[in-house]
Amino acid sequence: MKRLTLMLLSGFALAIGGTAVAQDKYPSKPVKIVVPYAPGGGTDITARIFGDQLKNGLGQQFVVENKPGAFGILAVEEMARSRPDGYTLMIGNVSTNAITPVLFKNKFKIDFEKDVVSVARLNIYPSFLIVTNTNFDVKDVKDLMTQAKTNPGKIRYTSAGIGSFPHFDMEIFARRAGIEMNHIPNKTGAAGMLNDLVVGDAQVAFLNSASSAAMIKAGKLKPLAVVAEQRVPGYPDVPTMAEAGFKGVGTLHWQSMLAPAATPRPVIDTLFKAVVEASKQPALKEAFDKQLVSLKISESPDEAKTWLKGELDAWRKITSEVKIELAE
Amino acid sequence: MEFFDNLAIGFGVALTPANLGFAFLGAMVGTLIGVLPGIGPIATIAMLLPLTFHLEPLSGLIMLAGIFYGAQYGGSTTAILVNLPGETSSVMTCIDGHQMARQGRAGVALAVAAISSFFAGCISTALIAGFAPPLAKIGQSFGAPEYFSLMLLGLVAAVVLAHGSILKAVAMIVLGLLVGLVGTDGNTGGTRFTFDIRELIDGIDVATLAIGLFGVGEVISNLSRPEEQRSVIAQKITRLWPTGDDFRRSWRAVLRGTALGSILGVLPGGGATLSSFAAYALEKKVSREPSRFGRGAVEGVAAPESANNAGAQTSFIPMLTLGIPGNAVMALMIGALTIHGIQPGPQIMSERPQLFWGMVASMWVGNLMLVIINLPLIGIWVQLLKVPYRFLYLAILLFCAIGVYTVNNSSAAVLLAAFFGVVGFILMKLDCEPAPMILGFVLGPLMEENLRRAMKIASGDPMIFVQRPISLGLLIAAALLLLIVALPAIRGKREEVFQG
Repeated sequence: MKRLTLMLLSGFALAIGGTAVAQDKYPSKPVKIVVPYAPGGGTDITARIFGDQLKNGLGQQFVVENKPGAFGILAVEEMARSRPDGYTLMIGNVSTNAITPVLFKNKFKIDFEKDVVSVARLNIYPSFLIVTNTNFDVKDVKDLMTQAKTNPGKIRYTSAGIGSFPHFDMEIFARRAGIEMNHIPNKTGAAGMLNDLVVGDAQVAFLNSASSAAMIKAGKLKPLAVVAEQRVPGYPDVPTMAEAGFKGVGTLHWQSMLAPAATPRPVIDTLFKAVVEASKQPALKEAFDKQLVSLKISESPDEAKTWLKGELDAWRKITSEVKIELAE
Repeated sequence: MEFFDNLAIGFGVALTPANLGFAFLGAMVGTLIGVLPGIGPIATIAMLLPLTFHLEPLSGLIMLAGIFYGAQYGGSTTAILVNLPGETSSVMTCIDGHQMARQGRAGVALAVAAISSFFAGCISTALIAGFAPPLAKIGQSFGAPEYFSLMLLGLVAAVVLAHGSILKAVAMIVLGLLVGLVGTDGNTGGTRFTFDIRELIDGIDVATLAIGLFGVGEVISNLSRPEEQRSVIAQKITRLWPTGDDFRRSWRAVLRGTALGSILGVLPGGGATLSSFAAYALEKKVSREPSRFGRGAVEGVAAPESANNAGAQTSFIPMLTLGIPGNAVMALMIGALTIHGIQPGPQIMSERPQLFWGMVASMWVGNLMLVIINLPLIGIWVQLLKVPYRFLYLAILLFCAIGVYTVNNSSAAVLLAAFFGVVGFILMKLDCEPAPMILGFVLGPLMEENLRRAMKIASGDPMIFVQRPISLGLLIAAALLLLIVALPAIRGKREEVFQG
């Protein structure tokens, strides 16, 4: 349906604009943003908020196409294989664009590192190391460690599934803390994790702040530490992971805009500038502020490139150190 | 007294001209979208989401909610007219609704669907207004063991659904369970029956399966008949409005359906879908003439329609009061609210009474508008059936393809739906019912997941299922139901029950 509209619109644009214009100035027709999830989640919302602002900046529609499935591989490939003219972009995140390319390299039909380029990192979602108050009483990170040591394997943690970053994060945390916990994965993601904690199926998790805020306020969940560079507004008493003694533990959950690697440099520059412009708009800032999300736009397209490479290297290291078994 | 004060706040904001306009717009768009088979509310709401950035949060929510109910309504229209469930929750409406259409009673079926939905909507709105917090508690007391027992009860009830041979019904449930296995195993990350096809890694979407089995299957089956028998209205359309007899037969079904739907809708996951299956099964069980079911029984339309609408309303409870989305549409609603910086959760009633009560009041307004929009349209929909089938089937197939495609923007899904269309045709030829298969497909994976979780939580001790009171109650209910079906002493009666 959306694609149909896009085709009609672009056909219309070509008909009135003529091909000469289309070659001169980017963008001269609607741009498609592929999102690797069903509508409604954090990445989808980011794409829509940015799309809305980019439309104002560049004067063309930015149409979101949701293409969930296969850990994001389907979306990445659709973007990477499309014509590299800047009319097909992707907004992905640490899971779909750093962990998946490392963990599921053999499932790709493209070479992720050669075929995909990062246009700009957009933002970072803080998450909490959080515990439930349902039949569970833990004061702080130390207390959690003590209780886990007295009851090895009895405390249950939830994650967004086998091989998801909340799973890796908790394994790394447990290893550093010298404790052992029981993993109850939930493949429905943050919503499912929140439910697991509230009903008491699980007791601990790394969960993003936007999803957990209302339940913290209601006293159902208790944040022990925050995965972020600084303490987050509204939670002055919650230490960062580093302050709690676990420096470097926990994933900084970023989202970024990506394009096919062969996209011409001027197009990437235009997009980058428009993203920077969009990030200055009060409406956009406010929307992210309210979700406790910090905008962290890359300094330049080049920086975005080296940064993505760094992320891939980091995940290669993590996945080789923390062996998570994926049954075949 | 507080109840009325709250409703007064709610209607105060819901009845402003602007919000009435958004409710109407949502209900209208939703109805139109719902009537196009397969194009569900999710794709539509997603497209309209950016529009809500610039609206008041409540207005945006009212419009999106209108689309949701409207699509649910529209979904039953296609279920009745062309045996095509627009939504999973209208699968059960297909069974008797489409039979009614074949008997020339399409108008009656549509009117009964509209009226039962409206009635259920009114009751469940009042329920939410009066008891949202305790209803939310029910949801919070459902952990893995409770879910497992509920799913077990659901599967046992599925056997009752069949109106042919019980052996075939069990076979269809098992087939559904097997199809549900396709995809990634949540507990180990391993893939099952994906044959290295990456589109299958996340499993098969229920819309793909339902549209294939029902919609495409029906088209093939119609085309295999001689031309003069193909037309959906083999018989002349007798009347559009239900008779006194229809009302007398359906009012109890509506009450029971509303009650079941209201409770099951609160549960995240399979709740809303389960409610229409459960309501149909219950009606058939308590009916004095169960043999009428599957042959155009008006109760068979009234019960699932009231249940799915009540369930749709109460599924707002966990979303609004806990911030936990029970289905994909609710996830979108949370998305729409977070953009405005509103965190749905236990505080929302005290912090944003206008939003909460306005939303509740607008549910009732939306339902009323749907009746106003839909009752006059019945005549038009029924006229559609006069289109010669050689044209109609092309349109049906086209919309099936568009609908299946838009779920995940995946062309693989369209091919899968075509495959399940052939499967559906073969099953029809073998006199096997597709409905139990869909139920097995929906419940099977949930049951497996929750069984394994419960075992992990209890460190492998199966006693957890009988130690938890809710779980125990559900298991006892399942055992009783099984006894009724299996006991040789009442076997003779059962045969009579299932003769159909």
